[in-house]
Amino acid sequence: MTAISTGDATQAKGGASTSLTRVAGFVTFILPIAAFLAFWEAVVWFGLADATILPAPSMVLVRGWSLLNPANSEHSLLLMHIGASLWRALAAFVLACFVAIPLGFALGLSKGAYRALSPLLSLLLPLPAVAWTPIFLVAFGQGEITIIGVCFLGAFFPILYSTIQGVRGIDVHSIWVVRSMGAKPMDLFRRVLLPGALPALISGLKLGMAHSWRTLVAAEMLAALSFGLGYMIFAARSYMDVSTMFVGIVCLAVIGLLIEHAIFGTLERMTVARWHSSGKVRGAR
Amino acid sequence: MSTIDLASAKPPSEARAIPLLPNIGARSGVIVALLVLWELAARLGWINAFLFPAPSNIAATIWTQSGPDGNPPYAMPMHVLRSMIRLLAGIALAVVIGTVLGVLIGMTRWARTLFQPLISIFMPVPTLAWTPVLLLLTGIDDRTTIIVVFIAAVFEVIYTIVAGIEMMNVKLFWVARSMGASRLQIFLRVIIPAIFPYLITGMRLGTGYAWRALIAAEMLAASSLGLGFMIYDASEYMSTNVIYAGIILIAVLGYLLENVLIGRLEASTTEKWGIQSER
Repeated sequence: MTAISTGDATQAKGGASTSLTRVAGFVTFILPIAAFLAFWEAVVWFGLADATILPAPSMVLVRGWSLLNPANSEHSLLLMHIGASLWRALAAFVLACFVAIPLGFALGLSKGAYRALSPLLSLLLPLPAVAWTPIFLVAFGQGEITIIGVCFLGAFFPILYSTIQGVRGIDVHSIWVVRSMGAKPMDLFRRVLLPGALPALISGLKLGMAHSWRTLVAAEMLAALSFGLGYMIFAARSYMDVSTMFVGIVCLAVIGLLIEHAIFGTLERMTVARWHSSGKVRGAR
Repeated sequence: MSTIDLASAKPPSEARAIPLLPNIGARSGVIVALLVLWELAARLGWINAFLFPAPSNIAATIWTQSGPDGNPPYAMPMHVLRSMIRLLAGIALAVVIGTVLGVLIGMTRWARTLFQPLISIFMPVPTLAWTPVLLLLTGIDDRTTIIVVFIAAVFEVIYTIVAGIEMMNVKLFWVARSMGASRLQIFLRVIIPAIFPYLITGMRLGTGYAWRALIAAEMLAASSLGLGFMIYDASEYMSTNVIYAGIILIAVLGYLLENVLIGRLEASTTEKWGIQSER
């Protein structure tokens, strides 16, 4: 019994010390940020910076709270902007997935098609998606179609490129082996191609969503009619409302981080980390 | 912790694997075929020739706008030149400030604890979200676009330089110090040569981001010249010829910048100096 209790004690001690180092790490991480915000606040309070151009963090916070309007959450302006932006980015991302992933598999599997199209791809890949905005503006005017179209292009090329690279990276021997054992095309896809391409595919999806989100900001500034974080920021400029701009910037960064870490981090842990944990794709029986 | 954050923001796919000049003829076959098809479709009226003007029309637009008959005269070269000046100014700023910060973060403890949290909160902000704030701070002129380019490129430069310093062999410092080198000498003779190849890599990646950001920033914030301004302005006059001309120029210039110019620079320096491989 004593042995058990000492064991418990050491365990608890170990737990305490790891949580202590974690707290210490968190403090050293948060301290410079807090100092930076305090410095900014002080600069504004002592009148060294013009508060109408550079509002203090506290003013930004107050503005964010009033925009969020928590008492009346159905008419929360900030939530409406965020909702509009998220909807556009997700719609563009999902559309891009539906087009780019099948196309990527096709191009990755067929050598001839890849060789023929790769010059075109290498020209289109570095082209900023925002550059297509004027064409969409001429064709569809301002509004949802233009924004989603531009974000679609922003997400499309990273996903396509990563899928191609993932499929081309699969060892051709494993395809031969599975095929010689009599696998049907569906089995081949499900057991070999998909797991083999998945790490590259998921990093492509992550990149595609990040591009979609970043392109969205510019597209909304150029083409949104009423809602969206980009629109909110750009419209606030006309009223010299810098606090609102900073609220928008903070929201964009936080949502971008959440999408990257919460959603894609979990996705990676659920698939790639599990399947490739032993360094190889675990075959199905 | 935050190094991983920085690492996860690694560059997008690199499409530099395509070797150049020798087989450029064979490889551009598909592009030429597509252009011919497009030309035929536009001429024969299969597609809307207003939204998809024939490539020959686009080429003609580029030609006239590049000459004295353009509106304004020599418009295209002026737009390209102004975009390039903005890009180079922003990149130069990013290289200088990024190198200083990167070396500080890589070499000293206080800079690492101070700057890494700050960088990891500023990095996820989409670069273009700063544009309206900068417009208020500086007004509509080149400063806004240059700062946007700077922000887009600087994180990549810092990241690669910190990575480069972490890859350095500690023995190099010991040797230099035991021979009595001063801090300045160590900086100039040991650190700078060691991080140079990484700096070039960071520059290439940063230029890719910066080029994208520049075009968008010019659409939002430029008042007179620049490729981004050109295509946005053209969309208000519905001149699709000019828009397509701009898109083609942006694509070709982006490709040349990223793969040829900096790719060459990278190849020549890393080959010549060999990324300080462990001897």
